[in-house]
Amino acid sequence: MSDLAKEKARLLKKRGSLSSLGSHEVRAIGKTKDSISTLSYMEEHGHHDDIQRPTVQMENTYRITPSRRFPVLTVKDLLKDVLTSYLQEEKYETELCRQMTKTITEVVKARVKDLMIPRYKIIVVISIGQIKDQNIRMGSRCLWDDNHDNFSSHIFKNNSLFAAATVFGVYFE
Amino acid sequence: MDEDQSEETTFVVDEITTIIKETVETTIGNNSYQHEKINQWMSSIAELSLSQLTKLGKPFKYIVTCIILQKNGAGLHTASSCFWDNTTDGSCTVRWENKTIYCIVSVFGLAI
Repeated sequence: MSDLAKEKARLLKKRGSLSSLGSHEVRAIGKTKDSISTLSYMEEHGHHDDIQRPTVQMENTYRITPSRRFPVLTVKDLLKDVLTSYLQEEKYETELCRQMTKTITEVVKARVKDLMIPRYKIIVVISIGQIKDQNIRMGSRCLWDDNHDNFSSHIFKNNSLFAAATVFGVYFE
Repeated sequence: MDEDQSEETTFVVDEITTIIKETVETTIGNNSYQHEKINQWMSSIAELSLSQLTKLGKPFKYIVTCIILQKNGAGLHTASSCFWDNTTDGSCTVRWENKTIYCIVSVFGLAI
């Protein structure tokens, strides 16, 4: 074996190169073609891995009030939009409404999260009921910081069902 | 010691379930559905639950929701979804009923 061939073999061994030759490999577009694929990996770690980066220490913000308040009107519009789009044409059916309640809850939560309200915890409560001459009362009481925490709600109704949605935004101090 | 300490700052579902059940039993009990008393019952359940939760002396903000529904065969589905810290915050829902009333109370506790 010539010196050049030996050197090549040594380099390949060191780098751990692995080659496979496939004859008539079928491509996605349907043509066949002889092809060679090569997979390489380095056994030696790069020298830059040895450098330890210092962990970033964040400073205290000293902020005790939210930089942005819970947007009551925006969330109310969002609730109106979601409830109308999901329930406008629907008739009350037990299984459908069971599933719809869960779906709408998740959709509303995702949409409120997309508003990116910093440091606010979000609670979404949705109730869907049948309109059948029954009486119902819904209410809530909160023990929270009245200055920063808030809620938004909307009630949707059609001939067959009603839906009440409430989103609570609670500031995490 | 550590267990006691952690229990003082965690949302204990069993403890809160007991509080809610006792509150609803005390407020509605065996009463049959009366339209003119519904608002009063609902306010009492929410207020009493909150005052009992406050007495636990835990560092939480609380939200209590209450639904009182007349029993006449009509369906109702309710669900909640939360974006919070799972390790500290928690929720608890109790469904209570008698011959003429359904009462669903949910409590959400958010750590301060």
